[in-house]
Amino acid sequence: MGETTMTLKVARYRPEHGPSPYFDEYEVPYREDMVVLDALNHIKDNVDGSVAYRWSCRMGVCGSCGMMVNYVPRLTCSTFLREFYPKPVVVEPLENFPVIRDLVVDMSDFLDKLKDVKPWIIRAHESPIRAGEYVQTPDEVDRYKQFSMCINCMLCYSACPVYAKDPKFIGPAALALAHRYNLDSRDEGRDERLDITAVDWGIWDCTFVGECSVVCPKDVDPAAAIQRSKVATTTKAMMSMVWPFGVERDAEDRRDA
Amino acid sequence: MTPENGSRYPVYVRKIRRTWWLRTGPFRRFAAREITSMFGAAFSAIMLLFLFALSRGTVAYGSFLRWLQTPWSIALSAIILVAVLYHTATWFRLTTRILSIRLGRRTVSRGAIAAGLVLAWIAASALVAYFHVWF
Repeated sequence: MGETTMTLKVARYRPEHGPSPYFDEYEVPYREDMVVLDALNHIKDNVDGSVAYRWSCRMGVCGSCGMMVNYVPRLTCSTFLREFYPKPVVVEPLENFPVIRDLVVDMSDFLDKLKDVKPWIIRAHESPIRAGEYVQTPDEVDRYKQFSMCINCMLCYSACPVYAKDPKFIGPAALALAHRYNLDSRDEGRDERLDITAVDWGIWDCTFVGECSVVCPKDVDPAAAIQRSKVATTTKAMMSMVWPFGVERDAEDRRDA
Repeated sequence: MTPENGSRYPVYVRKIRRTWWLRTGPFRRFAAREITSMFGAAFSAIMLLFLFALSRGTVAYGSFLRWLQTPWSIALSAIILVAVLYHTATWFRLTTRILSIRLGRRTVSRGAIAAGLVLAWIAASALVAYFHVWF
């Protein structure tokens, strides 16, 4: 009895071989427990060593192996072949990013934006180390925990038509992370961050298509984070108009958690 | 393959089609949600024309009312009603995802928020009906 196989169509782009991408077709062994990344590794090891792609942990934690699998951004390590068998699987590099080679995209734009939103705890005055940790109740952790689960896999950028049309858009993951720090009771950098995120190419560029949250492998829900940032920003602006003594930040800006 | 985005490598930049919003089911639903808002704007425009006719006196008001009763106008209103209902339903659903109301240590459930929105909608409709029918 012959081995069960299925077809993998892999997008190739090799700048030294020509200016346009093309597809290579490979027959790979099929087993129920195989994921798309296993199939790629099989090709790399046994069929064609020239296929380039990123991967590391194989368990949905590192966020390296994001690719378009049948036109949807997915982590290839958690996408089983059985979902598509016996139809062929089309594997392409993540959409909305420039392609460097085969399935490898240039992620520098995302990394710059991630850094721009200052995703770390900002204090007006740093306490000395001997004063101890900045303590937090479990309830305070719950307010931002969901938005802290991001693994920077960039699937959300790939799913976002706003980012596709406007590469200047800060984008789902970075804005969700900014929101995560704004919600953190230890953080005092909200105003500083708002100067960066509450702009036309920041939260206000988002039209709430919602696909970023659909493809997120960690259920971060960046779409909700962005809309809540909009609500929090607007509430703050309105309050500062009607409240003559200035807005007390804790009472107001944590509420839209 | 030009590094037009300032990349250090010779990269390939894929083009986005003008019809991207027709490509997948979720994109089509998003487009439908956004396009139906235009019908809300159309209803507001009709309301403004209505007020304008009212300001110009009895004759203008009467002829506007007659126009509202023509089959074309009724058909238009019916289309607007369906579109606005769809638009409202989509935003009610989305609002439950955006609004996070905390009562003490608890977060109000999405179902409760949805119920609140629908109740507010029914109350507003009842108020409008009251003024329309009994005044």
